[in-house]
Amino acid sequence: MGLLRYTVARLIQAIPVLIGITVITFILANLAPGDPVRLMLQGQQVDQEVIERVEQQYGLDRPIHERYVTYMANLLQGDLGHSIQRDRPVTDLVVQRAGPTLMLVVSAYAFALITAIPLGILAATRRNEPADHISRIVALLGVSTPSFWIGIMLILVFAIQLGVLPSSGLVYPWWGPDHYGYSGYPELLYQTIRHLLLPMVALGTLQMATLMRVERTQMIESLQGEYVKLARAYGVPERTILRKHAFQVAQLPIITIVGLNLSTALGGAVLIEYVFNINGLGRLLLEAIIGLDYQLIMGITVVIGTMFVIGVIITDISYAYIDPRVTYGDRE
Amino acid sequence: MAEPLLRVENLKTQFFTDAGTVRAVDGISFEVHEGEIVGLVGESGAGKSVASMSLLRLIESPGEIVGGEITYKGETIFGLEEGPDGDLQRRDDMLSNEEMRTRIRGNEIAVIFQDPMESLNPVFTVGGQLREFIELNRDLAKREAKREAIRMLREVGIPDPEQRYEEYPHQFSGGMRQRVLIAMALACEPSLIIADEPTTALDVTVEGQIIELVDDLQEKYGTSFIWVTHDMGVVAEICDRVNVMYLGEIVEQAPVDDLFHATKHPYTNALLNSMPRPDRTVEELDPIEGVMPEAISPPSGCRFHPRCPDAREVCQRVHPEAKVVDQADGHSHRAACVKHDVFDAGYDESVPLEAEPQVTAGTPGGGEDR
Repeated sequence: MGLLRYTVARLIQAIPVLIGITVITFILANLAPGDPVRLMLQGQQVDQEVIERVEQQYGLDRPIHERYVTYMANLLQGDLGHSIQRDRPVTDLVVQRAGPTLMLVVSAYAFALITAIPLGILAATRRNEPADHISRIVALLGVSTPSFWIGIMLILVFAIQLGVLPSSGLVYPWWGPDHYGYSGYPELLYQTIRHLLLPMVALGTLQMATLMRVERTQMIESLQGEYVKLARAYGVPERTILRKHAFQVAQLPIITIVGLNLSTALGGAVLIEYVFNINGLGRLLLEAIIGLDYQLIMGITVVIGTMFVIGVIITDISYAYIDPRVTYGDRE
Repeated sequence: MAEPLLRVENLKTQFFTDAGTVRAVDGISFEVHEGEIVGLVGESGAGKSVASMSLLRLIESPGEIVGGEITYKGETIFGLEEGPDGDLQRRDDMLSNEEMRTRIRGNEIAVIFQDPMESLNPVFTVGGQLREFIELNRDLAKREAKREAIRMLREVGIPDPEQRYEEYPHQFSGGMRQRVLIAMALACEPSLIIADEPTTALDVTVEGQIIELVDDLQEKYGTSFIWVTHDMGVVAEICDRVNVMYLGEIVEQAPVDDLFHATKHPYTNALLNSMPRPDRTVEELDPIEGVMPEAISPPSGCRFHPRCPDAREVCQRVHPEAKVVDQADGHSHRAACVKHDVFDAGYDESVPLEAEPQVTAGTPGGGEDR
C-alpha cells in the first residue's frame, strides 16, 4: 500500500475519533450546571412562558439525543450553531479566530524545532562539556517555567523596559497592508514578525526545551549505533555521519513528540492569547466558558479537537515518510 | 619472504577507565601476507575486536593506542619514537587522521562487522549505503557506483539485485544482510578485510554458506583477511595462519594445520578440547576451568596459569613472551609457554600448582567482545 492510500486510510480512521469528540463535548456541555436562558436574561424577572418560548426557539426543550442528532446534521453542513452571548453564528466566530491561533501554534513549533535541533545536536556532540551543561540548565528552566509567566517577563523586558517589541495583539498578514495603513508587503511582513516574536517565544519555550533534550538523547544513541561505526570504518567524514547517518535516525522520536505535544501547545495557546491580548480561539473559548455559551464552547472544542487530530495524522504520515520500517498497516 | 602486507609489532591498546587502566591489547605482534586469511581467535574479552579496530585507528575514548607499531604497505599507521625531551611521541611519518580516513579506511582496509542487523542504517536503502561507500572509496560517479553496487550484490549471491538495491535493511534476512556487508567490503576493492566475527550472529547453515562465499571470493579477488572469531571450527575451515589471543596477548601463532595437530600452548589445547565435535558426546567435552580474568588486573606470571592444567610454580613468576618453538612451511610456530625448552625457565624442576577451586564458566563463546 502506498503513502497516498495510507493517508486516506488514516483520514477515514479519524472519523470515529471526531465523532467521539463531539459526543463527549456535547454531553459535558449539557451536564454542566447553570441555565443558559437565565444567564442570557441576566437576572431579569420574566414569565415562565417567555423562558419556555426561548428554550423552544433554541431547541433546549427537546431530549439530549434529539438535540445531538440535530447538532450533527447542522455540523455536517458547516453550521456550528448560534452563539447566545454574541448573537452571531458560531461558525463565523470560529473561522475568524482560528487564524491567529494557528499562526501562533505553528510559529511556536517552528521556533522550537529550529532552535532545539541544532542545540540538541550540539549538546550531544559536546557531551559533558560546558555547552552540554548550559543546554541542560536551559532545558530545565524551559520545562519548569509556566509559559504565561515567560510571556509576562518577556513583555516586562522587551515591551516595557526596552520598548523594542509590541506587548499585545498580532498583525494578520492576510488582511493586507492597507488594512493597517502600512506602506507595502515588506512592512506588513516586518510588523507581522515583530508582533509574533514574543508570544511565539513564550509558547514555544516549553516545546523547545523538551525537544532539545529528546534530540540530545537520540543523537547520542544514534552516534553509538553500529551503522555509525561502519560508516567511520569506511572513511565517511565525521560531518556527513553527523548530518546524514546519525541525524536521520535520531529524528524519528522528535516527530512523535511534536505530534503528542500538540495538545499541550493548543492548551498553552489559550493562556498566551490571554496574556498577549490576541483574539484567537483560546480567548474566545475562555470567554465562552465564563458566559456559559454552550454552542460556542461546543464549536470551539470541535474545531480545536479537529486541529489536534489533523496534527496527529500529519505526524503519522511524516513518520511513515521518513521511516521505511513503518508498514502501512497491511499484511505482507 | 616478501614484505608482509600488514605488520603489527608489540601493539598496545589501553582503556583509561575510572576503575583503572584496562590493558585490552597488551603487546601483540603478527603479520598478514598478501592473499592470506589470518585468524584472530580467543574467548570473549580477549581483545580481538580492540586489536582489529586499532589497525584502523578507530579506538574511541577512553581507549587509546599507547604503544607499538603498525605498518601497512610500507606506510606507518601507528608508530612512536622518542622525542627530544625523552618522552614518546608520534612519529612524523605516521599517517594523519585525514589520510587514515581518505586513504586507508574502506579503500585499503575494509571491515565486516559482527551484527548484520545493526550494521546497516535502517532509514537508507541498502543500495544507497553501498553506493555511498563505493563513491567515497573508489572515486566513481554516481551512476557507475550504482552499477558497481548492483554487480557486487549479484556477486555475493543476492537474487534480483536491481530490485533489492532499492530495498531497506529490514526487508533483508540476517544472512542476506551479512552478504550485503561482504559486498560493501569487497566493492571498495581493499587489499585487506577485517572480518570481526562475521558469522557469529547467524545460524549454522547460513554461517556455512557465508564462509563458502568468502572462501570463493577471496580466491577470486586475492584479498587478504583478518578473521576474528571465537570458533575453532570456523578457523579450521577458512584460515591459513592463526593467532590465539588470551587476555590481550597472543599466546600461540602457527599455520592452521600445525595449530590443530601440533598444538604448543595449553590454552589452545584447552580451546580445542572444549569444542563440540561429532565424534564426542557432550560428557566428553572438556570445558576450560574458570572464567578469563579481567584485563584490568591480569594474573602475575603467565596470564593463563590460574586456569592452566599444566601450571607449575614457575608459571606464577615468569611472564613468557611468545618465542619460536617450531618451524613449518617457512612459517614459524610461536608459543608463549615456559614448558618449552627454549624458555629455559626451569619448568621441569618446578612443582605443580595445587588446582585452586574454580567456578566452571563453560566454554569460550558468547561472541560479544565489548
